[in-house]
Amino acid sequence: MSDYRILNTRAPRVDAWDKVTGKAQYTDDLKRPGMLYGAILHSPIGHGKILNIDTSRAENLPGVKAVITWKDVGTQPYGVSPARYDETIFCFDKVRYVGDEIAAVAAIDPDIAREAVNLIRVDFEPLPLVLDPLHAMDEGQSQLHEMYDHNICAKVNWNFGDIEEGRSEAAILRTDSLSSKMQDGAFMEPQSILAEVDGADNLTMWSSTQAPHYIQRTIAMALNHPLHKVRVIKPAVGGGFGPKASCSTAELAICMLALKTRRPVKFTFDREQVFLHGRARHQFHHTMTTGIHRDGTLAFLEHKCILDGGAYASFGIATVYYAGSLLGGPYRLKNMKYDGYRVVTNKPACGAQRGHGAVIARALFEVQLDRLAEELGMDPVELRLKNVMEAGETTCNELFVSSFGMKEALEAVRDSAAWKRKRGELGQTRANGTGIGAACGFFVSGAGYPIYRSKTYHATVVIKLEEVGGGVTVFSGAADIGQGSDTVLAMITAEELGVELNDIRVESGDSSRSVDLGAYSSRTTLMAGHACREAAQDVKRQILQAVATRLEIPPESLEIKAGKVISLTGEIDFSEIRREFLQEHKGFMDTPEGPELTFREASRIAFLELGSVVGTGKYKPPPLGGSFKGATVGTSPAFGCSAQIAEVKVDLETGEVSVERITGAHDCGFAINRTQVEGQMQGSMMMGMGEALMEQKIFDSEGRILNRNLAEYKIPTSLDMPHLESIIVESNEPNGPYGAKEVGEGAIMPVIPSILNAIYDATGVRIDELPVTPERIVEALQKKKLENEL
Amino acid sequence: MKKIISLTVNGKVVEVAVEPGRTLLELIRDDLNLPGTKLGCGLGDCGSCTVLMDGIPTFSCLTLAIQAEGCRIETVESLSQDGHLSKLQEKFIEKGAIQCGFCTPGMLMTSTELLRRNPGPDEHEIREAISGNLCRCTGYQKIVEAVQGHSEEGEK
Amino acid sequence: MALPKFDVLCPDSLDEACDMLESHASEGIKILAGGTDLLVNIKLPVIAPRAYVLESSTSQLVSTHSEELWKDHSGPLAPPSPAYLLSLHRLRNELERIEELPDGSLLVGALTTARTLQMSELVRLKWAALAEGADALGSPLVRARGTLGGNICNARPAADLFVPSVALGAKLGVVSIHGYEVIDASEFALAPGKTRLQSGQILVEIVYPASPPGTGSAYYKLAQRKALDISVVGAGVRLTIDSLLKITSVSLALGAVGPTPIVAKTVIDVLLGKKLDDSTLKLAATAAASDATPIDDHRGSALYRKQMIEVLTRKILTTAYLRARRSL
Ligand SMILES: Cc1cc2nc3c(=O)[nH]c(=O)nc-3n(C[C@H](O)[C@H](O)[C@H](O)COP(=O)(O)OP(=O)(O)OC[C@H]3O[C@@H](n4cnc5c(N)ncnc54)[C@H](O)[C@@H]3O)c2cc1C
Ligand code: FES
Ligand code: FES
Repeated sequence: MSDYRILNTRAPRVDAWDKVTGKAQYTDDLKRPGMLYGAILHSPIGHGKILNIDTSRAENLPGVKAVITWKDVGTQPYGVSPARYDETIFCFDKVRYVGDEIAAVAAIDPDIAREAVNLIRVDFEPLPLVLDPLHAMDEGQSQLHEMYDHNICAKVNWNFGDIEEGRSEAAILRTDSLSSKMQDGAFMEPQSILAEVDGADNLTMWSSTQAPHYIQRTIAMALNHPLHKVRVIKPAVGGGFGPKASCSTAELAICMLALKTRRPVKFTFDREQVFLHGRARHQFHHTMTTGIHRDGTLAFLEHKCILDGGAYASFGIATVYYAGSLLGGPYRLKNMKYDGYRVVTNKPACGAQRGHGAVIARALFEVQLDRLAEELGMDPVELRLKNVMEAGETTCNELFVSSFGMKEALEAVRDSAAWKRKRGELGQTRANGTGIGAACGFFVSGAGYPIYRSKTYHATVVIKLEEVGGGVTVFSGAADIGQGSDTVLAMITAEELGVELNDIRVESGDSSRSVDLGAYSSRTTLMAGHACREAAQDVKRQILQAVATRLEIPPESLEIKAGKVISLTGEIDFSEIRREFLQEHKGFMDTPEGPELTFREASRIAFLELGSVVGTGKYKPPPLGGSFKGATVGTSPAFGCSAQIAEVKVDLETGEVSVERITGAHDCGFAINRTQVEGQMQGSMMMGMGEALMEQKIFDSEGRILNRNLAEYKIPTSLDMPHLESIIVESNEPNGPYGAKEVGEGAIMPVIPSILNAIYDATGVRIDELPVTPERIVEALQKKKLENEL
Repeated sequence: MKKIISLTVNGKVVEVAVEPGRTLLELIRDDLNLPGTKLGCGLGDCGSCTVLMDGIPTFSCLTLAIQAEGCRIETVESLSQDGHLSKLQEKFIEKGAIQCGFCTPGMLMTSTELLRRNPGPDEHEIREAISGNLCRCTGYQKIVEAVQGHSEEGEK
Repeated sequence: MALPKFDVLCPDSLDEACDMLESHASEGIKILAGGTDLLVNIKLPVIAPRAYVLESSTSQLVSTHSEELWKDHSGPLAPPSPAYLLSLHRLRNELERIEELPDGSLLVGALTTARTLQMSELVRLKWAALAEGADALGSPLVRARGTLGGNICNARPAADLFVPSVALGAKLGVVSIHGYEVIDASEFALAPGKTRLQSGQILVEIVYPASPPGTGSAYYKLAQRKALDISVVGAGVRLTIDSLLKITSVSLALGAVGPTPIVAKTVIDVLLGKKLDDSTLKLAATAAASDATPIDDHRGSALYRKQMIEVLTRKILTTAYLRARRSL
């Protein structure tokens, strides 16, 4: 194993004790004196002109302290991508989806706030709805936004290499399509917000967010409040997976209510509002033509995608780019064409969700590889192995992979799942109800560029020693939303300083602590990790320098190991320092003993020599990517890759699918915490499996989500999930701290296609629409039977 | 009109006046200041609000406080005594059964009851027992391992 | 999600409960058992139920203002929430029980939870369809609160205890200030959420006919996930065979394929006097499908449901027949 003392172990999470005892505080657990409760009025219709808003009855309800609409907050546009600021805090001219926000109330009690919202009268002139993404661009369709001609919010037309040449050389080519439905993050903690203002107009907001930094900026911008007087704090967060990465109307409205009432205001989403708000997975319609040479190497990919983005842009610009760019790897593919269109429709806006933009594209491409392998009579794993990239290669869309354990991952799952034995005869599908399928994936390890154009550092970390000696506090803006970034920062700091994990305190997720762009694009371990390491080294240098100065020896001759300062060059006399420390601590019972200088004494000395000891670290990726339009999306300092094998049983009569086992291997570069890497892989497997088999938002003809609860929006239960086998591959990423790169999102990539390929093996039928419900399987089986009979 | 009820919460008898429409969850979180029990859906779908009511795992969001009159309620706050974690809590930490932690209080309560009823559950029995407690982070694998690990070693 | 305002009455005896039901009938009173259905239904959604707005979206002007919509549009509106809930929780001693009566029939108190049914070895041995219905219901948390009485009285076409109860030929014992009445489970439901229960009546006990040797039953629920799901189709059966293995009585009920649990009557003629061989199975399956009137909804199409009735009918008949043979 490794030479590290703390890194690469299974150290327990730093927040685990709080979380098992119920002491961890999530936003909704917070209370402030004099706190008011917020409520929000949502549009009940999908598309309409607002004719009139009458808030008078709500204002007159006893207990109501403020009612706000666009008249109070203005119509300053905001959004995620500066080029597509298409949202306003409240609707003023139109509503664009069922759930669009129109007004907000603060009252002394949550029931009163709710009642007040129901007393607001809004009259609408309904407008025709646009619900079908495949027709949203058609002539004569109702337009959602003036700025989006033909309801096209973004389009990408990319051409890498020469696909015509690829086409002419290909021995076999085939065209397939796959579509999905909008999905939900289905994190367990509904969004919650608490905002408070002090006498100097300092606005503090606690929020269940993934990105305090962007939220801080958006609040300041949209509310026209000085940026430095906005502080966003992220308490414990009960999962995010993407939808909590963008600033919500609720966050803006609750801040506004706090500013207006000068009292703390809290608001927590109902589960229904989580669905109404959305900002989760887009709906995708992919069509791909892939060509392959006789020897199984890839010739070209021609790819078209229409994304249903719902009513606003949110993260969707990045989504439409990711849907194309991330097919550049993990296989050698010289020629790739991509045409992506993101359209707006009268549904909740879609945004980022685990595996941003790339999940369904990956699913179809991996299905195509299996189908091509079948036509070639080649083992699908062999076909993949023939094409995988290696470290040092660059994709056709100019993504450079500096480390790449793709081959190792694929071989690991192949062997661990006994692929060859179970798969049986090459290329033969069994269609007997038992199936096995494989797939690979490829993902960024942190977006190469921030969302707004800036030279900002992506992560900074400040580490401060306790002046009294012994303790270390890590200040970071990074957002631990459950993935465990606080533990990663603590482990890095403890490793670097040579101290124990429980000497480290992490204060993170607070925009006033340091800059961190947030928990998205699988960036935190690599970026905040780099900054943290640098800060810890800075602190360590100062400590050793101070001790060395005292002892009049060169600092290079000292090292900190297991909480003790040791000399690398022989015995050193620490007695003077010890005596001084003991003098300062008369009456203390826990004074240091033994022949070595403790970290506690050393850090105290550092304070006595230098004053407060603070170390800082920062990280910004180097300029990355090509120069074509949209080249920035998909760039990353490193790329993760993964392979998976799914085994399924299908009841050929009812179509019920039971996933029996998933074996996954992920190249995370280097596992800072092995348990957490596995945890991310397993969580990804669950989300992918849900998306493959059961998750979908179902809309009625008026644009309402019919299944806006967790009974009918189905995510896998413990009984649906099989045993999950997770294999860690470590390829030692040169651009990552200690060789580490991502795992949070990449691990979801192969899940859907490995299940789809396994279902095909089990049934002999292909389903081109997700989720693969029992009904769809039965339908396909019957169709096939009819065809065979004809 | 508020009604006065008495019930035992984490070993202490409490007498409270509650609105008829108050849920047991609201009583626990807001009136008794025990925020460890979470609200994830309010409709019985997720299990974040699970407490033990007379020893049985119960969603407190769909139970009226009044329905709990005279009952013995145990919440996550009762699992550790004087800062000492229960064996199951320790296993949750050791096995990595926690990520965001939002489902954790409910998961702990449900599995605590399972282990009281069946000290050596197999994997299927564990999956069956926690199937009303949704977890979006872990894929359940490490939760199952934690409960299994607990039963393998037995209560200390 | 918030609950509307209501008062809760907590009778200490069945008589008191009947009196309270009667005296508050005009103000709107609902019986609260486990509450797993009732409380979900009366929690206030953020977006008004369908009827508020959709009925009006064809007109020129719509409004968020619910009162206006209530006034303007005569579509099927959500029922106003009740002023009183009558909670039965103090009657558990009386109404939560499982008992084999001297004549071999099974008496189950209305407040018996699905969890208790699941754990009863007696029920699993002789009235397996009911135990399997309990296994299939919701999740352990729902089963811990949800009662047999509530499952029958909410009269959902997919109800996982109601459907096997119909198949098992259950009789429902109902009381009110006017006395005791028995209603056949198969005739109890009128429409989704509507039953023969008159205002003032409480379902107190459910009696399942004896399960003599040669009797077997089974229930199968088809759903999309393995817990926490509403059935796409549910099917339950009870049959008795003679020493020649010929079917002497059979009753098959289907869930989620009509407005109420449905008794598949045509199946009886197909099966009576027959042994269960492949061709009989096929005929029975086709017959069962012809008895159902499923609809398309977001859980499944009518066509799929029809097909699945056939599959499920074969599955449960095979299982029940096997059990019947074992008990001979
Ligand atoms: C998450 C979740 C999942 C679920 N899954 C399923 C499922 O898979 N299958 C299924 O069948 N159901 C399911 N349900 C519905 C419900 O849990 C069951 O139908 C349960 O059995 C209802 O019992 P209860 O005691 O909770 O009824 P309550 O909610 O208390 O009552 C239901 C109705 O019956 C009336 N009622 C209750 N008892 C009596 C009585 N003794 N006399 C007269 N009227 C009475 C009430 O007034 C009310 O109208 C689910 C519910 C939830 C919340
Ligand atoms: S909050 Fe009670 S079950 Fe979800
Ligand atoms: S740990 Fe996040 S929901 Fe379970």
